[in-house]
Amino acid sequence: MTTERAFDAGQRFLLTSKVYWTTTLYPRLRDKYLEAAGGKEKQHTVEQVAAIVENMTLYRYFAWLERHLQRMKYSGRYGIANYYEEHRDQLLSDLGSPSGNDERLDLRPDLEMPQYYKSVDIHQHPGGVWSRDEAGLVYEYGARSTTPMLGTGHADLHTRFSDLVASQIDAKPARILDLGCGFGKSTLPFVTKFSDAKVEAVDLAGPCLRVGAQTAQSAKVDNVTFRQRNASETGFEDNQFGLVTSTMFLHELPTKVLKDVLQEAYRVLEPGGTMAHLDFYAFPDAFARFMHYGHGRRNNEPFMQPLAELDLPKVLKEAGFTAIQISPFQESETIGPERVDVWRLPWTVISAKKPKQPIQPKRARARELNHA
Amino acid sequence: MAAVPDDPRAEQVFFDDPAVDLLMGVVMALASETYVLRDRLNVLERQLAATGRVDTAKLVEAPDSKAEAADYKDAAEFTRAILEPLLGLQKSLGIGGKFSLNRGGSSK
Repeated sequence: MTTERAFDAGQRFLLTSKVYWTTTLYPRLRDKYLEAAGGKEKQHTVEQVAAIVENMTLYRYFAWLERHLQRMKYSGRYGIANYYEEHRDQLLSDLGSPSGNDERLDLRPDLEMPQYYKSVDIHQHPGGVWSRDEAGLVYEYGARSTTPMLGTGHADLHTRFSDLVASQIDAKPARILDLGCGFGKSTLPFVTKFSDAKVEAVDLAGPCLRVGAQTAQSAKVDNVTFRQRNASETGFEDNQFGLVTSTMFLHELPTKVLKDVLQEAYRVLEPGGTMAHLDFYAFPDAFARFMHYGHGRRNNEPFMQPLAELDLPKVLKEAGFTAIQISPFQESETIGPERVDVWRLPWTVISAKKPKQPIQPKRARARELNHA
Repeated sequence: MAAVPDDPRAEQVFFDDPAVDLLMGVVMALASETYVLRDRLNVLERQLAATGRVDTAKLVEAPDSKAEAADYKDAAEFTRAILEPLLGLQKSLGIGGKFSLNRGGSSK
């Protein structure tokens, strides 16, 4: 049995290794690339960056560490999955009943998980975030060190996003929908900021929803319900929500599913309503893009690259949205898009509105024609 | 240890020789173990110092000549055990070299 002290120490070692990787290896690698690019980096494509960087010994170690520090974080001897499995009974007992008798929780154990979702263990989380009872707790712990530069201020990222969205919408929404809410880290800032609104948070992963409902209960907020639903088929009525949002969700979807989710968001939004996603889309240069594509592969996030390569403004327009805005996002007081000297995710806010006089989106129209 | 997948897939490869990938795994696992041990030692020292059972100044000062000789001997043995495999020499008499039943070099 792994002791709590040994688990903490093992995770501390991995976190400090990741910080070194982020703040020392990454800038060194970038400098070596710039030196080799000889001033032509602004014209480079991802393929040209790859041709230079992939043969560098430092890159091999950089890539190896990105892959395996994450593996060790979850599956190593002091990994989260191992530790939580060893202490599973106690942890689940602390979490409470899985029956969903809390009004904040609506589980559907018979909901079918899509094949794309089951075929890859996202983030190298063994069994994914959905298949084991303790998966929500494992994910909650793992997410604390996703962005090592943010340290303990990681939660602040979500507050900053909800603040930004609040500043950009015309009227306070009566109902809010958070898509792919996970264990509720993205949801709760909206719940507290819009305390008069009723918030619906949906995700495929029952174990994560349990953690979200438990966190809401501990925080004594009752204007939120965590529901086990597919974001592309939420089951809500048309025109219900003043705001539809998501955080770090779009990049987890195959392109077809992403388009279905956007269509669903459009359907449930009330006319004039706002959609706002925080995801990864805007890149300062080809080097950052190259690193991001590699991150997707190494972190078991196969749809990161397809999202980054998608013509999102066109897709949003085809879905019927207007007032489309795509802007880089500053994730903390000190770290933002200007910090090209450290590894960071390319945080981006993607927002749009459903017109007050909605038009029928092209995709929905095409579907109707296909079914006619 | 947590269960592995029923049908585990081959790991990603980053180096020209996959042996380096595997060796890095061993090195990092050892580094992890070393840090966990170091952390435990730190806790132990703090507890001993708090109860007056150890003089913390003695823990950090340079050793005297007698202790230094013993420490050196200990360090040399530790180092030898770690680096000796690089010599690639057998510890008992047996057949050496690369082993293969594929004498003709054919994959059939």
